[in-house]
Amino acid sequence: MSTASQADPVLVLEGVSASYGPYRALFDVSFSVPAGAVVALVGANGAGKSTVARVASGLVPASAGRVLLRGHDVTRRRAFEIARMGLAHVTEGRSVFGSLTVEENLTLAFRRALGHGGVADALARAYEVFPRLGERRGQLAGTLSGGEQRMLALSRVLVLRQDVLVVDELSLGLAPVVVDEVYEALGTVRSGGTALVLIEQHVNRAFTIADGVVVLHKGRVAYDGDVAGAAARLDELVLGGPPAAAP
Amino acid sequence: MTTLLDYAIPGVPFGCVFALMAVGLVLTYKASGVFNLAFGAQAFVSSLAFVSFVADGWPRWLAGLVAIVVLGPALGLVLDRVLFRRVRTASPLVKLVPALGLLIALPQVALIVAGSAPDIAPPSLFFDAQRVYLHVASVPISGLELSVTVATVAVVIALVAVFRFTPIGLEMRAVVESPRMTELAGVNAGLVSAFAWVLSSCLAGLAGVLLAPLYAQLDSQNYTVLLVWGIAAAVVARFASLPVALLGGIGLGIGQQVLAGYLPAGILATGLRPSLPFFVLLAFLPFARQRQVDDPLAGCDPPPTALVGEATGYRSANLLAPSGGDGAGHAVAGWHRALQARADRGAGVPSAGAHGVVDRLASRPTLVVAWAVGGLAVLSALTWVPNVWLVTMTQGIAFAVIFVSLTLLTGMSGQISLCQASFAGLGGFVAGQLADHFGTSVLVGMVLGGAVAAVLGVVVALPTLRLAGLPLALATLAFALLADNILFPNSWVGNGATGVTVPRPQLGPIGFNGSRSFFVLALVVLALVAALVRTVGQGRMGRLLAAMRGSELASVSTGIDVHRLRVVAFALSAGLAGVGGALYGSLERSLSPDAFNYQLSLVFLVVAAIVGLGSVSGAVVAGLVFTALQTEVATFPPRFSGLLPVVFGLATLSYTRHPEGIVDFLGGGVLRALGRRRQGAAGAGGGDGPGAGPGPADRSSARTAARSAVATGEVAVPEGGGRS
Repeated sequence: MSTASQADPVLVLEGVSASYGPYRALFDVSFSVPAGAVVALVGANGAGKSTVARVASGLVPASAGRVLLRGHDVTRRRAFEIARMGLAHVTEGRSVFGSLTVEENLTLAFRRALGHGGVADALARAYEVFPRLGERRGQLAGTLSGGEQRMLALSRVLVLRQDVLVVDELSLGLAPVVVDEVYEALGTVRSGGTALVLIEQHVNRAFTIADGVVVLHKGRVAYDGDVAGAAARLDELVLGGPPAAAP
Repeated sequence: MTTLLDYAIPGVPFGCVFALMAVGLVLTYKASGVFNLAFGAQAFVSSLAFVSFVADGWPRWLAGLVAIVVLGPALGLVLDRVLFRRVRTASPLVKLVPALGLLIALPQVALIVAGSAPDIAPPSLFFDAQRVYLHVASVPISGLELSVTVATVAVVIALVAVFRFTPIGLEMRAVVESPRMTELAGVNAGLVSAFAWVLSSCLAGLAGVLLAPLYAQLDSQNYTVLLVWGIAAAVVARFASLPVALLGGIGLGIGQQVLAGYLPAGILATGLRPSLPFFVLLAFLPFARQRQVDDPLAGCDPPPTALVGEATGYRSANLLAPSGGDGAGHAVAGWHRALQARADRGAGVPSAGAHGVVDRLASRPTLVVAWAVGGLAVLSALTWVPNVWLVTMTQGIAFAVIFVSLTLLTGMSGQISLCQASFAGLGGFVAGQLADHFGTSVLVGMVLGGAVAAVLGVVVALPTLRLAGLPLALATLAFALLADNILFPNSWVGNGATGVTVPRPQLGPIGFNGSRSFFVLALVVLALVAALVRTVGQGRMGRLLAAMRGSELASVSTGIDVHRLRVVAFALSAGLAGVGGALYGSLERSLSPDAFNYQLSLVFLVVAAIVGLGSVSGAVVAGLVFTALQTEVATFPPRFSGLLPVVFGLATLSYTRHPEGIVDFLGGGVLRALGRRRQGAAGAGGGDGPGAGPGPADRSSARTAARSAVATGEVAVPEGGGRS
């Protein structure tokens, strides 16, 4: 996706490597995300997709390379600083605090970003976009359905209008009808100007809204380009094609 | 009805004392994920400071303020930074050992700093401790009781309000569930947990200062006893609810007073009261562990490093795995072991160690050194060593037998026991009583003592079958208290205040009255026990135990009867500890009823874990080191008599860095250096693809380099940490 649509990308990874203890997960990964664009990040199980997300949000340190957020080097920043600088990361699986209520989940994020005064307004906006959350504001988030939990996580990003949202396996384990709802919500987030990095098993689904595609294979970038190019040779790329450079 | 009230009302202030401890424990657990057994020690440090300041003529309010608000939190923050922060995601054992080490060491360090405990009666912070301020249903309430009750209730109300209604309270609750997810919400989780530590340390200080006048003289042991009651109340609250901790504490306080009032005088009344925590723990522990919430982002942690000994046999690798469910590689490794053990059952694979002794010695230079040193020591002992040293060495051997029993239980099967000294004590008492009453030979008595201790091991194992990790440790601790208070004081066990005489054994014409002959006997016993445990470790049972240690779930699903295995492990370990206790008793020729009290159990686990639980040689070194230090320190001037616990405390620092134990760590160092030289260039280029070579920025890679081939062969890191 490098410099395809806009001059100043909002998120850039430059030669990033990362390990879990002695186990290396990423090798020299580079790609960039233009402001407001949607990049689908695909690859087989164990290709390193979640690790890319974790390095971007500061959960896992990069052992080499740089991460740039809106032009600022955030490679050595702590996760909470990166979050305050405008990168949201909705993690795989349960991505809300199960022991807190819906309202507490939202308040936790809003208070740091907006101050005490802004919380009430922000809550009202979140409930406006997702009325179902408003109905359940006093309920423990852990007792919400999978789809509702994703809505809760997304509503936070939506209200705060962060610059980038890295979203990991959003549709995993959801019923098809719920997947449609969640994607609708994702569309709302995008129309608010937030760039998306979309990690998704349902590759075709992700391609319908993506502007660009990055394919990871065994911790390396196997493809970085437009959607049509990726769709044409997807099997080869994902299932072990030669780790070639972008066409 | 009046009598019931007469007993119950004084129980409330008592209960508030327990509740204050419980609330502190729950708060730390909620805020940091560490069950901070050092809480009692922190309380003692603050109380010591308070009393010392007052003795120096400070006004009480100033002394209290400094002790509670300045000293307490400062100590808490230091402990967090140098110790607890490192172990927050570690296994229950790795979390427990530093806290226990501090519980032992911290009061001694404080006493050395303060010079000595001030010899004034501890003053109370508010009110006059002894004066009666009011009567409730004609029961007089003293100033001490009033201040404790008022302060405890106020603290609980304030804390509940903080957690429920303030921003920092919300953030603390979030950090407990997942520090990483809290950071993703833009909150500095490190700062929040530091605040929580400050809060809980203040509470420890408050507890210490408030409770100081409860006793005529400051003594850290009193705080440890209170801590056990606090633990019981915390378990009632499932480590989670502050108000329930308060109610649980008050309930315990009333319970012990009512028990004391109604039970007939004698062993039951004096024994049952201190044992109440045991029954409460046993009743409530099974419910406590279900409260734990897994961190959904635990997969961000690197998998546990494989340890030196993975290739050479059973080792403590999985003791070090992160808690909160099976981590990535951890689960895989556990599964792998379970399958291996399962396969062995059918195939009858011969045990490892088929290659020749020479090969093994050549491949393990540390072994050569160890044998040389050991041989030299034995030779010296038999020829020129003075009697005093010989006795010390023999004591070391007796303790080594007990430590080997911990190697079996904790090192090999992964169960934590805080009542190993009770097993040892029972073995010793049985051997002594049999000799005294029936003239049974002590050698026979040793075996029978071991057998009785093994039965006790089964008794401990059965009600705790469903417990693991911290709950199991707490249950065994409570059991040790039960043994101390109900079992050992009986005339037919520990024989009350006088203790039991244990004669030296006689084998036909050979007597073991001399130091040298007894030394040889002890050496033979140790050799037998060590050989037994090694054989168990390398055989099928060892693999079954390793499988269970890796993952009980995986073991069950491959058809291993985990419950039976645990009972067997407990029985065997208790039996060996009993033999060790009998050996020690026979060496000393007598055993007092508190020779093997619960505190010694704590020391045993800490020493064994620090020196090395992973191998029999580690246990032997632990026994010798323990005794040597103890004897050496006894010759120091009184001011430094607490130095031994201080050494333990410092050693816990090393433990958080090397949870495999000093012996394995040093042994591994030599092995690693050798391996690096041998492999040379070949070692660097392992292959490509994920999981092949250690990353350049990975500092621990050097430690794992030597066995990365083994590790990468069986453990791959799945995307998302394998928790899908």
